[in-house]
Amino acid sequence: MEALSLRDDLGDRAAAAGQNSLQLIAFSIGEQTYGVEITTVREIRAWNGATPLPNTREYVRGVINLRGTIVPIFDLRARFGDGQTSPTKNHVVVVMSVGDKWVGILVDAVSDILTVNRDDIHNVPEGNSIDTELLNGIVTHESRMVGLIDLQAVVSGAKADA
Amino acid sequence: MSDLDDFKATYFDECSELLTALEEEFAAIEAGERDSDRLNAVFRAIHSIKGGAGAFGFGALVGFAHAYETLLDYVRDGRVELTDEVVSLCIRANDIVADHVNAAQTGEALDADYGAEEKARFDALARGESGEDDEGGEPLEDFDIDFTPVMVNLGHAEGEAAVEDVFDVPPMAPAEGSWEIRFTPHRALYARANDPLLLFRELAALGTMRVKARMGQVPPLSDFEPFAVYCSWEISLSEPSLTEAQIREVFEFVDGDCDIAITQAGAVPAADLAAMEDDLLLDTGESDLASLLALTEDEMALPEPEAAIASLLDFAPEPKPVAASKQDRFEEAPALSFADLAATIAPASVAAPKPVAVAPKAMAPANSDGEESHRSNGVQSIRVDLDKVDRVVNMVGELVITQSMLTQQMDETLRARYTELVRGLEVLAQTTRGLQDSVMAIRAQPVKSVFSRMPRLVRELATKTSKRIKLETIGENTEIDKTVIEQLSDPLTHMIRNSADHGIESPDKRLAAGKSETGTIRLSAEQAGGNILIIVEDDGAGINRERVLKLARDKGIVAPDFTPSDEQIDQLIFAPGFSTAEAVSDISGRGVGMDVVLSNIKKIGGSVHVRSWTGKGCRMTLRLPLTLAVLDVMLVKVGESPYVVPLSSIVETMQCSRASFERVPSGGRVLQVRGEYVQVIDLGKRFGLAKPASSADQFVVLCESEGSQKVALVVDDIIGQQQVVIKSLEENFERVEGIAGGTILGDGNVALIVDVQGLRTTHLHQNAA
Amino acid sequence: MTLRVLTVDDSRTILAMLHHTLSNAGFEVLQAEDGRQGLDMLKNETVDVVITDINMPVMDGIEFIRNVRATGQHNSLPILILTTETSQDKRDQGKAAGGTGWIVKPFDPEKLISVIHRVVH
Repeated sequence: MEALSLRDDLGDRAAAAGQNSLQLIAFSIGEQTYGVEITTVREIRAWNGATPLPNTREYVRGVINLRGTIVPIFDLRARFGDGQTSPTKNHVVVVMSVGDKWVGILVDAVSDILTVNRDDIHNVPEGNSIDTELLNGIVTHESRMVGLIDLQAVVSGAKADA
Repeated sequence: MSDLDDFKATYFDECSELLTALEEEFAAIEAGERDSDRLNAVFRAIHSIKGGAGAFGFGALVGFAHAYETLLDYVRDGRVELTDEVVSLCIRANDIVADHVNAAQTGEALDADYGAEEKARFDALARGESGEDDEGGEPLEDFDIDFTPVMVNLGHAEGEAAVEDVFDVPPMAPAEGSWEIRFTPHRALYARANDPLLLFRELAALGTMRVKARMGQVPPLSDFEPFAVYCSWEISLSEPSLTEAQIREVFEFVDGDCDIAITQAGAVPAADLAAMEDDLLLDTGESDLASLLALTEDEMALPEPEAAIASLLDFAPEPKPVAASKQDRFEEAPALSFADLAATIAPASVAAPKPVAVAPKAMAPANSDGEESHRSNGVQSIRVDLDKVDRVVNMVGELVITQSMLTQQMDETLRARYTELVRGLEVLAQTTRGLQDSVMAIRAQPVKSVFSRMPRLVRELATKTSKRIKLETIGENTEIDKTVIEQLSDPLTHMIRNSADHGIESPDKRLAAGKSETGTIRLSAEQAGGNILIIVEDDGAGINRERVLKLARDKGIVAPDFTPSDEQIDQLIFAPGFSTAEAVSDISGRGVGMDVVLSNIKKIGGSVHVRSWTGKGCRMTLRLPLTLAVLDVMLVKVGESPYVVPLSSIVETMQCSRASFERVPSGGRVLQVRGEYVQVIDLGKRFGLAKPASSADQFVVLCESEGSQKVALVVDDIIGQQQVVIKSLEENFERVEGIAGGTILGDGNVALIVDVQGLRTTHLHQNAA
Repeated sequence: MTLRVLTVDDSRTILAMLHHTLSNAGFEVLQAEDGRQGLDMLKNETVDVVITDINMPVMDGIEFIRNVRATGQHNSLPILILTTETSQDKRDQGKAAGGTGWIVKPFDPEKLISVIHRVVH
């Protein structure tokens, strides 16, 4: 179980970035790249299994122990409706804070830390309902399309219908 | 938070304790224990509440408490008889005091005449008993408190004379100029640890002072009594605008313990002087005024203390012992050294404002074993922030987990190889357990603090519903974890409301049913193993099952074709959204009802069971864990996932192959246990977890959450018993059906805690649907 | 030198206020919740002045003062009575038992300090 601390070099990077820019942690699911604002990320750790939670939707992979606190893990692939991830040791859990809660997002890999300009963020094109539901916007970075995850939307409605 | 807020917080804390104590005292008084100890305790409680209220300027509270206190004082000394009427007036008064305290705390204003009626009755009672007595007849409403609100900063020092106080001597006509003071201390003055030196010091601060000591009565050393009083003083004090009142104030504490004459300089009335001398001479039998006066002419003005005694003794010309016979009743004489007395005379003239600060400190400490003793200050209890205790509790919880993890890691090979390590781990286990118990004991509190709020609730409910209800409490000293207690108040309130509102019948109905007019609600607490049982019982009509079932059907809680058992119907009163209140009363019909009880109690790992006897009454039992932090559990596997079942709800476990299952027509399975049919819940199916290929045989965990109805849980493996620390799922997620929480196992994985009662409830609903 | 004050009162509020006022004024403050505790404390502690309430459980202030004086060890220890009584009654009883002076609650901090200085060297 390895945890990568992001906090140390955060200050330098934030200083390097202008005030109109936004720093993202970018991660991938298959060919897709998504990003979340770096300040919401608490920890990145390798997948080490989770205890399944009954009576929840398929994208709730279960709960893990994060230093004595129980944190739920959301399978982002499943959340986007592409079926459950079959996680290996190489898969990654990004632990983030959403409001006053901590949640983990299961992704294939963390790729980079990106600095993007806020002005370059576009609205999600109409059409794909899941994308519009779960993304705050889209930004292009070095010819890659990065979907900005709306964490609140990702974690809501997790309970299975009774 | 300012200091004042801190004090207020302390005060309100204290008030709530005192109000709790009052409830208890009056419960005993009502039960006939009318001894003076109880009355004194009641008096003290009201007195303390009043005292603090005065400090913070809570005028309405002080006014009411004072009137009440006065009545209590009269009751205490027998001037007012403690009749049942007075007792119920007092109980009402306690509630009013509580309301005043609450109003002071929340800052909301009560009606100006709130409690006026009761106050008038205190007054009437006090007057009634002592009609001719002027003091007793004093109208209590006239009481007017002069507040000196507490000031928490000690900035500038005001002149003492500027501070008005109730005990200030009445102001006298101010006189300009110089004063002559003749001061003859009695032995009692020293016996009460007053000290002429300090009086002189204080006088010196008032003006320019000159002191003459009259030592004519000092005997020769052979006759010298160390504790006798031989000295008196004449002081002249001058300062423009110095009043007699200011001087009198200095002697305030020694009034009656000395002879004192204050006259304006140059106007000493001879008669006064003579009277004073006469007084002095009474004891000695000496009547030669002239010779005494001659003696007093000796003016003492000694340069330093060391020389004082010597010169003093030299100066004692005549053996004239003062046999202070009048003062002999004081068994203890002051430990006053003569050197000090002499020293007081030394600075014969001291200019204001410099006080006599040079006096030796020899007599101050009565214990001579050193003043710098900074040993333990003898405090036997300390108040600790609950947060700090919680942090310890959490850390101990983690320690328990780590310890059990280490123990689990020790396989047989390791055990054989490292015996020292094994021994160390055993000690660690023991110490951890001890530490855990100790920490839990810190947080344990008697349920009294919650129970004591209930008498008032019952009184109010009885009044609102026009019923006669008596509350009995049993076992209020049973201790539970503080956090459990905090969660207990709402559920208990709801349960008692339910009993009062729906259980206990009106007096006519009760009489018609052959019961006594007064209904009884019994609230009890007892420890049962690792649990605490809180039971609310009433002797009312019991649950109206027909009505409950009809309502449940109307609300779609129970399917029309499903016929629940009596016990299931009773349990329905806890179902979400269910309320039996036909007419919405302001007591329990607020939409949120008994389902709150269930959810609150579940939140703290407890369970609720209700049992009703038609026409005879109803009993609701709360089963609560002794502590929230640690739970004894059975670790099982469902599919590949670890689950734990609270040990307290497990009756027995068995292998499925040995269990006798039977099919019921609906397709479900039941288990026959000793002639009893028990619902079977296959956790793998319920939780949607695949049965592991390797699992050859499954196990049955027979549970009994509360009451008689059992449930059989089918699991894939039983691993063993252990202790776990309960963790919330809701902290980062949300409540999950059938799961009471989570816990972290020794290997760091999360196991889920099975909510046995919750499973049964959903089972019932699913059957019903 | 720091003066040590023993405060005896069953009201935590009063104890807390005394503690605040006195420690701000540079005194070292000891606390007891009733007369019995106060007496026990005086067995082991040296104090310069005692401030005691009258109405207390276990052992009231009057009895406490009487007991302190009866030990013979504390004849010159000043004992101030804290009282809300506006009547002379309690004060006289306190004095008869051996009390040195009194302070009327609610007390003014400056008054409190000045009264202490009136009875302590």
